[in-house]
Amino acid sequence: MPRWLRDTRVIIGLSVLVVVLALALLAPLLVQATPDEQDLLATLLPSAWAKGGEAAHPLGTDSLGRDVLARLLYGTRLALTVAAIAAPGAMILGTIAALLGGYFGGWVDWVIGRAVDVWMSFPPVILSLILMVGLGTGSRNVILAIVLVDWTRFCRVLRAEVLVVVQRDYVTAARLVGFSHARVILREILPAIVPLLVTLLTLEMGIAVVVEAILAFVGLGVKPDEIAWGQMIADGRATIYQAPINLLAPVAAIFVTVAGFNLLGDGLRRSLDLRLVEGRG
Amino acid sequence: MSLLRAEGLCVTAHIGGVKVAALDGLSLALAPGKVLGLVGESGAGKSMLGRAMAQLLPPGFAVSAGTLEFAGQDLVAMAPDKRRALLGRQIGFIPQEPLSALNPVRSIGSQFAEHLRRLGVADWRAAALAALDTVQLPDLLDRFAHQLSGGMCQRVLIAMAFASKPALVVADEPTTALDVTIQARIVALMRDLQIAQNTAVLFITHDLRLAAQVCDEIAVLYAGRVVEHGPADVVLAQPLHPYTKCLLLAAPAMSGPRQALYALPDQMPGLRALAEMTGCRFAPRCPLARDACRKEVPALAGGAHKAACPHIAEIGKIAVSELAPAAVATTGETLVSVRGLGKTFRGRFGRKPTVAVHDVSFSIAAGEFVGVVGESGSGKSTLARLLMGLEHKTTGDIHLAGQDVGRWEAAARRLRLRTAQMVFQDPQSALNPRRRVGAIVTQALEAVGIGLAERRVRAAEILADLGMPQELADRAPSQLSGGQRQRVNIGRALCLVPKLLVADEIVSGLDVSVQAQLLGLLARLRTEHGFALLLISHDLAVVRYLCERVMVMRNGRVVEAGRTDAVFANPQHEYTRELLASVPGPAILR
Repeated sequence: MPRWLRDTRVIIGLSVLVVVLALALLAPLLVQATPDEQDLLATLLPSAWAKGGEAAHPLGTDSLGRDVLARLLYGTRLALTVAAIAAPGAMILGTIAALLGGYFGGWVDWVIGRAVDVWMSFPPVILSLILMVGLGTGSRNVILAIVLVDWTRFCRVLRAEVLVVVQRDYVTAARLVGFSHARVILREILPAIVPLLVTLLTLEMGIAVVVEAILAFVGLGVKPDEIAWGQMIADGRATIYQAPINLLAPVAAIFVTVAGFNLLGDGLRRSLDLRLVEGRG
Repeated sequence: MSLLRAEGLCVTAHIGGVKVAALDGLSLALAPGKVLGLVGESGAGKSMLGRAMAQLLPPGFAVSAGTLEFAGQDLVAMAPDKRRALLGRQIGFIPQEPLSALNPVRSIGSQFAEHLRRLGVADWRAAALAALDTVQLPDLLDRFAHQLSGGMCQRVLIAMAFASKPALVVADEPTTALDVTIQARIVALMRDLQIAQNTAVLFITHDLRLAAQVCDEIAVLYAGRVVEHGPADVVLAQPLHPYTKCLLLAAPAMSGPRQALYALPDQMPGLRALAEMTGCRFAPRCPLARDACRKEVPALAGGAHKAACPHIAEIGKIAVSELAPAAVATTGETLVSVRGLGKTFRGRFGRKPTVAVHDVSFSIAAGEFVGVVGESGSGKSTLARLLMGLEHKTTGDIHLAGQDVGRWEAAARRLRLRTAQMVFQDPQSALNPRRRVGAIVTQALEAVGIGLAERRVRAAEILADLGMPQELADRAPSQLSGGQRQRVNIGRALCLVPKLLVADEIVSGLDVSVQAQLLGLLARLRTEHGFALLLISHDLAVVRYLCERVMVMRNGRVVEAGRTDAVFANPQHEYTRELLASVPGPAILR
């Protein structure tokens, strides 16, 4: 078994995420109700175990009489989709920029470095809100906004790592035996930053879930007919005193999912980073 | 009455549930005012004694048996605060890395003050200046470590160690990080202070010749056991233990006929291997070993000059032959021709530009071995990087195989690929830890898109050339020993059979026995492949052993060049003379 699979954090994080993924995929089997079916005669029902609750709606209904559990489970799909596409997207963009800047140095590095500086001087949430205003709502645009905002996270951290690797003699040696620049980058440098890359990717997935929720919360995320945790929070906020579970359920879902990603990322960092591993003997 | 006394001292390491003696029954005595050399290659456990004294053993290591006494007091059982009171007052330490031993954010003065106040000196400034004066340093109390050279830092640390007039100073490889000429000065300084204050010194080093120069007595350590102990000059002139003899024959000499180097096989066993070993720990590598050696641990026997070997009568059997002149057909064709080469590094942020190489001209014939010697900062590495196109020259011409390089980047790169390759200094950095040995040595084939099957065949050939077993092809560099790594490093450069190898300090930092293996390998590969070599080294003996011609560099200029034997026998330039005089060892052995 590889070392990273023996780390407790990795095991807990992975288990949480596997459960979340299973819930998303098996949603139609787990609940009978469809998430967008309104029942205006049964709005704001409490959860099944509370007084007045119905077994058909385990977590009750929202202000339009939609089943909260169904919305929660179907909302998982969107959250995971965004995490699974936006985070790798940001990673690819950021990694390419970091490799080019760190490897070639000089003006290439200067241009990329200044671009990152300018980018990072905007608060990320504000920047993504501005982008969403320009791009319009929809899950595809949410993904695009996250990629365009968060590539800098990857770029800055990875560039520092690339700079360290480039200093090593084996990179020079590879050039001297005739490797082209592209081959040096792909065969000698990229493998060295993969551990960091994987860690950052996992953490970024957690961030993507949060950003997607924020955008949906302010109504600039997905279209109204798509189900998102952020929308559920926005809806639940109005009726927090009548039906607190409408707000708490999506908050808990976001918390658990992001915690899963963060635990996984933290565990991977501890077990893949050679410096940390060697420090512990 | 001895000042420091170890009786049957054992330091045990716990490795994976097994107990291994890293120091096994060490018995030594150091009289006041004497210098004892503790000599051994890396892994011999020579630093353990000093660490045991300060109770600074690495995690998992502990003193398990025996006694260690300082002036009649047991250092192991002593209460920590009592030991702390001794350290720095009665026992001084001189560390290996002077730059990292000084705090970079505090001035020399404030570090001195802290030390002297602890000693109870009222006027610390006057005392510090006096201490600096003993090591021939001016007032640099307001300066910081990074503003001083390595040699100056080491002198500051020596001044601090001797400031309390200690009875004992432990010097752990105090000159390893320094240049030869500075090493000579530091060692002389230490010796002067030691005599003036009548201090006892425990001098820990890997360099047998340096130890012989500095010490009254020498104890040779192998895998945690003392194998030979005696007066320094006697041990060096008439070694009794096969290991000492092999070590002496493995180091190239600076005088006399050029002899082949004794190549001890393998390397010192690691702690893991020691766990399963019985009998004499040197037996697996010993040319005199027989079955009995592997069963019984030989005792250290003899009078003033002791050796732990029952076969000392046969020591004469270990010998090396005189080196035949390299049988290489030099066609006289000029391979490299450099004229007026110069490199100036632009000064950044308003600093003055640095002239790294100035007006250097030389040529290398096909098949010729040329050495470049000089201190760090003399520009010898820059010269190598200029040749390999890793730096852009400022002035001058480089011709490789008759063609001008450095004008058209792409064409020069193609030309270099076919003719010149470089071997890097540090195999740790030069070998990609994520690649297998077989892939590393055939990288040049990968670059031109040659398939895996063909590369495997070539990898096998190269490993055979390097004298390495075939199964190592599938190992990662981290699974190899230091010597094997450096071989792989050389093997990669040899893959396309270049006409010129540029080797930058490829044996520095390696143990003498491993160095001998590598130098022998280079000499053998030379007769097989007939390449030329530009060997950059700070070690004059290595250059004398391998190279026909030598260039002496200082401050970016070549101050002297010529046939190696002529230059070393009759140096013309003052600096060459200084370099030659700095080579460690008693005069008879130079």
